[in-house]
Amino acid sequence: MITIEALKAFGADVEQGLTRCMNKEDFYLKLVEKAVKDPAFEALKNAVEAKDKEEAFEAAHRLKGALGNLALTPLCEPVNEMVELLRNKEEADYPAFLERIETGRKTLEAMI
Amino acid sequence: MSEFAYPKKLKRRILIVEDEEINREILANILEDYYEVSCAENGAQALQLLREHTAPYSLILLDLLMPVMSGEEFLTEIKADEQLSGIPVIVMTSEKPAEVSSIKMGADDFITKPYDSPEVILARCERIIQLYEDNSIIRSAEKDELTELFTREFFQEYVRQIDSYDEAADDAIVINIEHFHMINEMFGRETGDEVLKKLAGMLLRVFGNGTCIGCRPDADYFYLYVDHRDSYDNVFAGLSEELAGYSHIPKIRIRAGIYQNVDRHISIEDRFDHAKLACDRIRGDYTKQINYYSKELNDADLYHERLINDIDDAIANRDLIVFYQPKYGIQSEKPVLRSAEALIRWKHPELGMISPGDFIPLFESNGLIQKLDHYVWREAAARIRDWKERFDYTLPVSVNVSRVDIYDPELEQRLLDILEENGLSTSELMLEITESAYADDAKGLTEVINNLRNRGFKIEMDDFGTGYSSLNMITSIPIDVLKIDMSFIRNMNKDEKSRKLVELVMDIAKFIKVPAVAEGVEDESQLKALKEMGCELIQGYYFSRPVPPEEFEKFIIDEKEN
Repeated sequence: MITIEALKAFGADVEQGLTRCMNKEDFYLKLVEKAVKDPAFEALKNAVEAKDKEEAFEAAHRLKGALGNLALTPLCEPVNEMVELLRNKEEADYPAFLERIETGRKTLEAMI
Repeated sequence: MSEFAYPKKLKRRILIVEDEEINREILANILEDYYEVSCAENGAQALQLLREHTAPYSLILLDLLMPVMSGEEFLTEIKADEQLSGIPVIVMTSEKPAEVSSIKMGADDFITKPYDSPEVILARCERIIQLYEDNSIIRSAEKDELTELFTREFFQEYVRQIDSYDEAADDAIVINIEHFHMINEMFGRETGDEVLKKLAGMLLRVFGNGTCIGCRPDADYFYLYVDHRDSYDNVFAGLSEELAGYSHIPKIRIRAGIYQNVDRHISIEDRFDHAKLACDRIRGDYTKQINYYSKELNDADLYHERLINDIDDAIANRDLIVFYQPKYGIQSEKPVLRSAEALIRWKHPELGMISPGDFIPLFESNGLIQKLDHYVWREAAARIRDWKERFDYTLPVSVNVSRVDIYDPELEQRLLDILEENGLSTSELMLEITESAYADDAKGLTEVINNLRNRGFKIEMDDFGTGYSSLNMITSIPIDVLKIDMSFIRNMNKDEKSRKLVELVMDIAKFIKVPAVAEGVEDESQLKALKEMGCELIQGYYFSRPVPPEEFEKFIIDEKEN
């Protein structure tokens, strides 16, 4: 089970996330678990593989909102960068971003 | 009045439009203690919710980037929609350029992503809702301008909210002002409006402490939805007097129908229908101010509905049967058959014999009695003719003329047509009019009766002694026969008062020089006493109960043989 301590160790800004969740720990942790399984991760991966920047932008944007609100900082950083690049349809090493994101996600998944 | 109109428990309704589930959950969690929250995953779903929901939303929280229909498209749509354009929108975004474009499209404020602290979000929502309501169209449609109570739609919505937040039992109350239209007519509309306003204020005072919402769905009806109480004794006491004192209208009176411990499985409308049924049931009953809804009351109502529905079939299928009760002259040595009274009976194909006491007052109250009366007139006229033809014997029959008939401009012609069809004269069909009709509108009635009498009809005043006519009126009104109500006859040999009253009526009859008929005569001692008093005609079980026409023929045959 994910714990507050483990999230802190992961690098999440737990205090901020908890505040948004009206300091309900269970509620916050439940949402983190949900975020780990967010289908937007899969959608982002598929879009990058298909080199569909528009789809990728939408998926990344969704993740940005949810991860940001939960203050899962290590995941937010690569996702936010991706969103800006994709918004301007820039060429970049997107698979490298994906790898960073996937590493973070897997770390969290392992806590579940 | 704010406490009354907006109990603390009532929550405004907010719609969250956001495609990311986690964000929806976080927002809903922040808002749900203070608002009624609904969610949509995209603009199209949100539009559907807004349009199919009769309940008003006070605020929309809108994400901009969503599949199916984006926030921007959604904004454009609702701002062009007359019904929805008045709902404020707060846009949730992390992108600066989007903020500018959405403000141009009519968004009212922003919430940034990631979200600010819950306090900030709540404060923004509250501020925008307040801002809109203070100068708003919304609030004006929410309130009845006159009384400041809710309008019907908003009232229903708030009842719904009480249902979802408050588990404690509730009562539905319907309050009505007796004879309110008279107040408007006699004292002017302004006074009528003042009375309504005053009553709303008084109800606030009485119920203001607990949960209570009120509305005025129409005219002089008030609906209240309040915390359950076991008893309402004394709750309304004094309100009628206070209202009368305030308005200087002495006869003003309010009555209340109460459906306690409402069943939340039935619709809000049904709950108030129940209370209204109880309220309307005591209309005109000055002994009762409060009536509680019960299953029996409902059953009685359903039964009445059934009778109302079945009346046309009953006439068409001749399930209504006219019975006849003889009236005998008693001043000669032997009683002489003089006439008969036509009385209706209902042999219902499924319900069996229905007592006239069950359907006549009902049909009198809703005007259907007119149909019944016409039917009886036709039947009685045909019967008189039939007896004339078969027995060569003319027996006048009296029929009932109800209050509604008197105001029917066609009354005279209707009666004449029926007589003509059967080759009868106006002296053969006698007309009974109840005394209370005289008391109601003596002047209008006199005119109608004079016309009928000029045509040759004989008028009998029915139920005399129960309608509070003044002696002055009795001497001036045109009648041909006085019928003493059977309640006096029944008790005349048991208590001195009834006996004196009967004597008094006999004296009145002598004074105005009309014969008196005693109804409900059951035994010889009554007959003897009445004969001594000079009563001319007698009707009652002593001679016969009302009987079907075939059975009645024996009286005619007997009479002819003697």
